[in-house]
Amino acid sequence: MELNQVRYFLALANTLNFTRAAEMCSVTQPALTKGVQRLEQELGGQLIYRERQLTHLTDLGKAVLPMLERALASTEAVRRRAREFQQRDVAPLAIGLAPSISASLVLEPIAEIRKFVPGLHVELREEPSSRLVELLLEGEVNVALVGDLDEKPERIDDWALFEERYVAVLAASHELAGLPAIGIEALREAIILDRSNCDVAPKFQRLCFPDAPPNHIHSSCRDLHLQHLAAAGFGIVLAPEHMPRLPSLRALPIEGDPVWREVRLLAVQGRRYSPALDAFVKVARLRDWSLHQSHSEATRMSA
Amino acid sequence: MLMTVEVMSERLTKTLNQVRNDLMAGFSDADRESYLYLVNWLRQADIASHALRVGDIAPDFLLPDAHGRLVSSEQLRSEGPLVVSFYRGGWCPFCNAELRALQTVKDEFDSLQANLVVLSPETRDLPRQLKRQLNLDLTMLADVDHGVAISYGVLFRVPEETKAHYSGQGYDFGHRHGSTEWMLPIPATFVIDQDGIIQGSFVEPDFTIRQEPSAILSNIRLLGPRIKDEPPTGE
Repeated sequence: MELNQVRYFLALANTLNFTRAAEMCSVTQPALTKGVQRLEQELGGQLIYRERQLTHLTDLGKAVLPMLERALASTEAVRRRAREFQQRDVAPLAIGLAPSISASLVLEPIAEIRKFVPGLHVELREEPSSRLVELLLEGEVNVALVGDLDEKPERIDDWALFEERYVAVLAASHELAGLPAIGIEALREAIILDRSNCDVAPKFQRLCFPDAPPNHIHSSCRDLHLQHLAAAGFGIVLAPEHMPRLPSLRALPIEGDPVWREVRLLAVQGRRYSPALDAFVKVARLRDWSLHQSHSEATRMSA
Repeated sequence: MLMTVEVMSERLTKTLNQVRNDLMAGFSDADRESYLYLVNWLRQADIASHALRVGDIAPDFLLPDAHGRLVSSEQLRSEGPLVVSFYRGGWCPFCNAELRALQTVKDEFDSLQANLVVLSPETRDLPRQLKRQLNLDLTMLADVDHGVAISYGVLFRVPEETKAHYSGQGYDFGHRHGSTEWMLPIPATFVIDQDGIIQGSFVEPDFTIRQEPSAILSNIRLLGPRIKDEPPTGE
């Protein structure tokens, strides 16, 4: 497969017009047609229906399009790097985080890309997952980290980063704090601090509280508020294991580890990746997320 | 256990061609059929004709290593000759044999002040696992979304027949690559000089044949000390 052939096909997919696609790629129309035909031979089928008024993508064309867009975006981001840095000294990167995803997770990846992307300006934004998907499509955030997603539009790419369990976070002085793990029966008896709009709440309800809702008295939409409440002895927070904790809090596993979720990375398909975004997506997909988990574990053990 | 170590050290002293014969002797009928099909398909479609050649400019890249740290090809080639080797994945025994062979001559690369990077189409923790399993201290980079393989002209889409065979063996490239499209590089080795020009190119559609590390080292030696006015002799 050749880079130019891929460029020709993507220009054609974009314009659905051979003349305009050839102009976009600065080649003659026969050269563009030949390049696309060769790509079709290699990919084993037609990519485009060539009908006078109705040029459109075949099923194969639609299937390979996102992949080829990503591959091209990935090569172009590196090529543009030097040029872009000379022209602009600000490289913005807006990262969306679902409420249960701590910013501490993205600090090391950001530090890594800052070495190569001078002028990096990071904006972190916390919103519920469904809102983050909208913001991605609107171009307000470039990439997002979310927990389990019920549904996502086709135009969103997503990659699973890691799985983590939910634990019970409570004050060291809490009557259950001395146990090695908390049983589900004990959770049903205890006061559970209510995280408003928690995306994992339905899963907890189904797996741990199938008969009656948890005993909620106090609530907040912010994790830090909940932690302060827990530290003051107002109840237990059910939190993802990676969540950093106030020093006076302890995290205990829930017996049998019933609730897990997957942390996922989202980006919009087919959009031009900036060098900063390209580097972030690549680092995130290779990062050893378990290091972070064991770090949390170590923090917990020493607390 | 002792036996395994002996067998392994014996393998390390063998040429890649000898290891190839051993591995192919273990092919089932289905493996052999699939192997012949893929190699014929690659040759008939002339996929390797897209690959970059000696004298071409080597596209630069910035890719994460097995631990998620970014590595820049520009930086590496500023330090000396750069060898870029594309492999198929940790599931391929021929690739693993090649990686082991490269590991055994790593000191020689170092003594020539040459950097070697091996590029994998695999993401997640797979490069990390492979390094651990094979006890490698090579720089393994993840060619996330195949961008570099495409720019070096070595990427192809796995034909359906081959996909069926690999799926049947339990290989899930969707999981391994983070993409539902089954794409693979033709294993290839490029030697790049400090000016970013390709000085050696080994691209062989038969995935069981790899460039011997000794040949890569000879290629680097041919570059000689960096004297711009004197082009390298030989190939």
